[in-house]
Amino acid sequence: MKTLNSLFTTALLVIAMPVHATLDVFACEPEWGSLVTELAGTRAQVFVATTALQDVHRIQARPSLIARARTADLIVCTGADLEVGWLRMVINQSGNDKVQLGKAGYLEVANFVPKIEIPVVIDRALGDVHAMGNPHFQFGPKQVQLAAEEITKRLVRLDLAGEPEYRNRLQDFTTRWKAATERWRAMGAPLKGVGVVQHHKNYSYLFEFLDMKEVGGLEPKPGVEPTSSHLNELVARQQTDPARLIVRSSYQSPAASEWLAQRIAVPAIMLPATVGGTAEAKDLFTLYDDAIQRMLKALKG
Amino acid sequence: MRHTLVAAAVAVACTAAGPAMAQNTELDRIRKDIEELRNSYEARIRALEEKLKDAETNARKAQESATQAETAAAKAETAAVQSETATATATAQAGFRQASQNAFNPAISLILNGTWGRFGNDPTTQVTGFAPSGGEVIPGRGASLGESELFISSNIDPYFRGALLVALTPENTVEVEEAYFETLALGKGFAIKGGRHFSGIGYQNAIHPHAWDFVDASLVQGSFLGRNYGDDGLQLRWVAPLPVFLQLGAEIGRGREFAGAGEVERNRNGKDSQAFFAKLGNDIGVSSSYQVGASYLRQNSGPDGVAYLDYNDITGFNNSFVGKQSISGLDFVYKWAPDGNPTYRNFKFIAEWFRRKYDGDFTFDTAGVAQTDLLNAKQSGWYAQAIYQFVRYWRVGARYDRLSHGSTNLYANAANVTAPDFDPTRYSVMLDWSPSEFSRIRLQYNRDLARQDLATGETIKDNQLFVQYIFSLGAHGAHKF
Repeated sequence: MKTLNSLFTTALLVIAMPVHATLDVFACEPEWGSLVTELAGTRAQVFVATTALQDVHRIQARPSLIARARTADLIVCTGADLEVGWLRMVINQSGNDKVQLGKAGYLEVANFVPKIEIPVVIDRALGDVHAMGNPHFQFGPKQVQLAAEEITKRLVRLDLAGEPEYRNRLQDFTTRWKAATERWRAMGAPLKGVGVVQHHKNYSYLFEFLDMKEVGGLEPKPGVEPTSSHLNELVARQQTDPARLIVRSSYQSPAASEWLAQRIAVPAIMLPATVGGTAEAKDLFTLYDDAIQRMLKALKG
Repeated sequence: MRHTLVAAAVAVACTAAGPAMAQNTELDRIRKDIEELRNSYEARIRALEEKLKDAETNARKAQESATQAETAAAKAETAAVQSETATATATAQAGFRQASQNAFNPAISLILNGTWGRFGNDPTTQVTGFAPSGGEVIPGRGASLGESELFISSNIDPYFRGALLVALTPENTVEVEEAYFETLALGKGFAIKGGRHFSGIGYQNAIHPHAWDFVDASLVQGSFLGRNYGDDGLQLRWVAPLPVFLQLGAEIGRGREFAGAGEVERNRNGKDSQAFFAKLGNDIGVSSSYQVGASYLRQNSGPDGVAYLDYNDITGFNNSFVGKQSISGLDFVYKWAPDGNPTYRNFKFIAEWFRRKYDGDFTFDTAGVAQTDLLNAKQSGWYAQAIYQFVRYWRVGARYDRLSHGSTNLYANAANVTAPDFDPTRYSVMLDWSPSEFSRIRLQYNRDLARQDLATGETIKDNQLFVQYIFSLGAHGAHKF
C-alpha cells in the first residue's frame, strides 16, 4: 500500500513538474546534484542517486537507478572509477543512448579537474587504489569551479535556448564561489599545519586547501577496514608525528576513530561526506562552512 | 660564425659610410642593435636552460618517488603504503597519455574458484524424478577445481559493446558460456543483445556462479534450467520511461540447450526457443528496494528428441522425448541496508518459483525394443533464500529448496515406467567472508533430502559440507542488482 502511495505521489510529482524544467539530470552524488541546481535553476530537474550516508564505492545497480537513467538527458558523476561497481551496469541496462560514454549527456567530472594522490604503483595488493587519483574532489574549491564550468558547457550544448541563463548563473556562481573560497581560507587559518588523521581519503583536497598536515589514515589501505594492528601503529606514530584531530565521514562507522581518540586523547569528529551529510551542509557552500567549522570547534575543545 | 658576419657587416658599413658624424651615429646604432640582440638571445637561452633543468629535476623526482614506491611496495608494509601512493610530480600530473595500441585493450577479468566437498552419498546420483542436468550443478567430492571464468569486454565503437565469457573447466575443456554484442545507441530504452548469452528469464539465471550466494544452484534452477540457461540468438529489451523500473524482454534462439536436459544437436532452420520476461522494481524509502519478475520459456525438442530422464534410474535405458516444453517462472528480490549503505550491514531475500510442462512423445527404449506414446507432465519447484551481512566482510545465509513431482501421464508407457511420487527438498546454510570485493571464502552445509531409495521408497538423508574460494582478478566488474 505504502509502495502504491509512493508510486502515486511520484506520478503526481512528474505531472506537476514545472513546465520550464527542460533537462532531466541524473547526478551520481549530492555535490554534483547541488551544483547542477546552482547552475541550471529550474531549467533542470535533478535526481540524486546516492546520499551522504552511503559509500559511493559500494552502491548497487538498483532498479530505481536504471529507471532514472532511462529518462535522463544528462548524467553527472565523479568518475575516476568511484562508481565503477554500478554506473556502467545502470547505463547499459537503461537503454538510453543520450547518456552513453562519449555523448554530451555523459559527464565524468574527474576528466576535467586536476587530481591529487595519483598512485605511481597500481596493484590491488595496495587496496582500492584509484588509478586516476583521489576521486573525493568535492572538497577542492578549484575542482568545484572547474566542474561548474564543464557542467555549464554541457547544459548549453543540451539546452541552447537556456544559454543566457546558464551563462549568468555560472558568472554568479563563480563570483560567490571565489568570495567563499577566500572566506574559507581566512576562516581555516587556525587549521594551518594541524596534524590530522582521516578514516578514508575523503578530505585530502580540503586538507591541502587549508594547508593541514595529514599524518595518517585509519584504513591500513584504501577501502580496507581499520585493523587493530594498524591503529596501534597510529598510536605509536603519535610520538613522532602528532595528530590533533581525527576525522571520519558521515557514512563511516565511528568505532575506529573513537577507539583511536581515546588512546591518543585527541578529538574524533564526523564531517559531512558531501551535501546532506549533516543538517547544516545543505549545499556546496554550507558543506565547506560546516566541515571547517566542525574542525575549528573540535580544536578549541 | 654570427660574430664574423656581424663584424663583416660593420666593416662594410664603415667603408661605405659618408661623413664621419653620420658614420659614428650609424655605428652606435648598429652596436646598440647587436647588444640588444645578444641580450635577448642570452635571456632566451637562459630561460631554455632553466626549463631544461626543471624538467630534469621533475623527471628525477618522478623517478625517485617511483623507485621509493616500488621498494616500499615490495616490503608490503602496512604503514608504508600511505606514503607509497606518493603523489606524482608535475610532469606526471600534466596527464598526457602516451599514444599506444594497448590503450584500447578490453577490460579483462578472471575468476578462480574451487571447492572441497564432503558428501555422505554419491553426488552424481540424479535428483529423484527430475531430469539430470549435468554434473556441473554440484561440485564433486574432495578437493576440486571449479570453472575458471575469463571475462573480456569492451565498447566496440559508439554503437556496440561486446563481451566474451569463457569457462575453463576442471576437465581441461573450454566452454564459451557467453559471447555477445549489445547495442549502445538504439535509444528510447531499447537494447539488443545478440550471440550466445544467458537468458533473462528468472532472477539468478543470468548471474554467473561466482556471484551466487551459495556454492550450488538451487534445486529448481539446476533441474529446470541446468544451472544457467542460455541460447544462441537475439534478445530485445525495453525499459519503460517511468519513475519505476519496468523492463520487458523477448528472446529467440535456436534452442541450443533444451532447458534442463543439456545441449541438443540441431540441424534445422528456425527458432526452436522463445523466451519472454518482465521485471518491475523500485526503492521503498532510502533503505530498501525490490524487484519482481515473471518469465516464460517455450522450447521445441526438434524431431530427433532429447534424452529424457530415466525415472527408475536403471542403466541401459535410452529414453527420449520429442515435443514441446514450457517453463513459467516468478521471481522476487528484496534488499535492505541501513540508510542504503550496504558496507557494514545488509540483507537480501530472493525467492523464485518455476513450473515446467512437457507435451509430446515419450520413447521407452531398452535394448532396441522401443515403445513410443504420449507424455504429459507438469512439475514445479521453488526456493527461498535470505542472506544477512551482520558485520563488514561477514555474511550468513539460509536457503530452502523444494521440487514438486506434480503430475505425469505416461499413457501406454506407464506399464514400463513409474514416475516417482516424491518431492525432493533441501536445507542449506552458509557463512562467507569477503575481505575485499575481489575475494570470498565460504563454508556451506546442506541437509539434502532430494533423493529416494528407489527400492525401499525411503528418502536418502545426506549431509553435505563445502568449503569454497572465489577470487576475482583484473578489471572491476559491475554486478546486476
